[in-house]
Amino acid sequence: METINAKNKDLKVVNKALKEAVNGQPVVVKNAGHLHGLASGLKHGEVIIQGDTGDYLGVLNDGATIKVTKNAGKYVADNMTSGVVTIEGSTNYGAGQYCYGGIVVVYGDAGDFTATMNKGATILVAGDVGDEVGTYMLEGDLIVVGNAGENFSNYLIRGNVYIGGKWESLGNNTRVESLTSGDLAKLSAFFDKHGIEANLTNFKKIVAASEKPFY
Amino acid sequence: MAVIGAFCVSVNRELCINARMPGKCATCAEVCPYDVYSLDVYTGEMYVQNFNACVGCRICVEFCPANAIRINPAESEYISRYPWTFGAIEEIHHKAQTGEYLLRGFGTQQPTPNFDMITVVPSQIASTAPLDKYREQCDMEVIIGEEKCEQPTHLKLPFLWPAMSFGALSKEAKMALAIGAAMTGIATNTGEGGLVPEEAWLSRGYTDKELTNKKWEPGGYLIIQWSTGRWGVSVDYLNSGDGIEVKIGQGAKPGMGGHLLGDKVTEEIAEVRGIPMGSDALSPCRYYDVQSLEDMKHMVEFLRDVTNYQLPIFFKLGPSRPYEDVAACIEAGADAISIDGLVGGTGCSPDLVTQGVGIPTIACLPPAVKALKDYGVHHKVKLIALGGIRNGLDAFKALAMGADAVGFGSAAEIAMGCRVCYACHKGDCPYGITSQKPELRARLDPLEAGQRLANFINATAEEVKILTMLSGHCRTIDLSTEDLRAMDLNTAALTGLKLAGYDRPLPMWENGNQQLHDNGKERK
Repeated sequence: METINAKNKDLKVVNKALKEAVNGQPVVVKNAGHLHGLASGLKHGEVIIQGDTGDYLGVLNDGATIKVTKNAGKYVADNMTSGVVTIEGSTNYGAGQYCYGGIVVVYGDAGDFTATMNKGATILVAGDVGDEVGTYMLEGDLIVVGNAGENFSNYLIRGNVYIGGKWESLGNNTRVESLTSGDLAKLSAFFDKHGIEANLTNFKKIVAASEKPFY
Repeated sequence: MAVIGAFCVSVNRELCINARMPGKCATCAEVCPYDVYSLDVYTGEMYVQNFNACVGCRICVEFCPANAIRINPAESEYISRYPWTFGAIEEIHHKAQTGEYLLRGFGTQQPTPNFDMITVVPSQIASTAPLDKYREQCDMEVIIGEEKCEQPTHLKLPFLWPAMSFGALSKEAKMALAIGAAMTGIATNTGEGGLVPEEAWLSRGYTDKELTNKKWEPGGYLIIQWSTGRWGVSVDYLNSGDGIEVKIGQGAKPGMGGHLLGDKVTEEIAEVRGIPMGSDALSPCRYYDVQSLEDMKHMVEFLRDVTNYQLPIFFKLGPSRPYEDVAACIEAGADAISIDGLVGGTGCSPDLVTQGVGIPTIACLPPAVKALKDYGVHHKVKLIALGGIRNGLDAFKALAMGADAVGFGSAAEIAMGCRVCYACHKGDCPYGITSQKPELRARLDPLEAGQRLANFINATAEEVKILTMLSGHCRTIDLSTEDLRAMDLNTAALTGLKLAGYDRPLPMWENGNQQLHDNGKERK
């Protein structure tokens, strides 16, 4: 297993080393708390970031598996097209924005504007989320095990939002439904795969009230 | 709507086919974007039922097989009825009846400060002698990203096509722009609607995906736009071009995003944009993943990183606070900055935003140049002027005011055949430029339109060359404000150019525009 110590190194150096190292074996990156845009645009490979990391982790990820053992900053997995990004701690504002595909799993809490303009990814937050989460979602799944803040799934255009806890307020163009057997099977398989314990009986599903929310 | 009632429509009934043989021709009713003509479904007769709605685009004149229609400007209501012109009255009626504000396409409809009141100063005995256009060389090449990138963009001419998205434009129009760029060595831009696959090779001059058959020399460039909606964006998309443009705003609707209605998201557009067919494609007014200038710096850094530090980063700004905005782009790490003035056009925007929001192009340039000079990067970080530039004269003036290159957006559409009917938003463009309907798109041949675009660029380049050489320069980069004079007080006040006759800037500009932009604070 190759290890890259990012201490006092800039993004160009670390990402270049990472691109060269991600063939076969997992690559470990240490001391990367100062880097914004770590592991950007990777097409394959497995990266384990030990400790914290900065903003834009795994931006434009296109197939790599990235794991952070502690917390990540803002905009995790921004504009991801495929791959898996796992945050074992918590994350800040805007995780999983603009994603076209792939999976984001946050075991802790996530901030405001998580999954904004999601266009096809599966985004799972095991803890709580902030305000305006799932705004303008176009496709894909958002799963929140804990509670949500205000304007939850505001102006949902397409896609599915699942929540196990409560929300402070629901956004525009939303309709609350109960889960179908297909949804239950999908969620339980997903939770089993990622080792998350959740009581599926409390879950609710939110979908777009209208396919044309603006006019 | 502002131009309503400004034109008289007359049909010569002796020539009109419909007047002689009712039901045999309805071309004018078919092509008019504003329902000026109406066909009686029982008798088949054609009527001019709504002549007040004519905007003077003269599409009906062009399509009429009998050459029977004449459109003439009506007497200006600005003299006889201002401010309650017919247009103003109809706008209020429209809102009163529908409860909706006015939407339209293209750019401004009323006069705004423009390049026309600036004149070019030729060279005579006291300055460097003029150069000979036939024998002597004129260097017009612009290199973008020379200092920071491993693969800079070498524009053969100081021109480019600004961003116009697939969705707003038809696929054929996007292909024509790419071919036009390849024929002249300039750059085309994907716009925010994702990459039309053909653009990637046509813009480089190749007719095939594998880049084996090069048909057009010298070959152009493809700028990839990165914007707030992020349609069809992936690592491969970013790496398929020769530069990345970070869109902050645009001239026609600065401070607003875009909105492609679900009805217009056809199967083809849905695929390119990567979204479900029929869903609204809403481009937000700001980046959800940028909250500060610090974030923008990180964004530029990761964009460079995912493209292996090869490609230049462009910024596109709407006309707001040019000094501060350009300074922020420089700090964020731009290689080139486009500033799109008030006159800039768009596919669809609220009428009042297109008309009433933003700074005119001529007033954007001096503060933008000042910012570049204050940071010591004028002509290093390239400045690109956009918004209402129509010909070589406008282009020369923008270059002399400090821009490195200019973009022709509206002019490019017109070169492809557009007659400016302000109805791009309706999706029924009779020339197939801003329509997604197969029957209308079939009217636009990408090869023919591409050749027209190349012809337009070549003619405009000759115009800029003539003006550059008659003012005693052999490189467009050597042009300066000394080669221009303002012909009225208004233009001199807006631009800081020397007033013709007075031969110095107005007193308020005597110390440059230092006080105007510093607000008493010291800048770099």
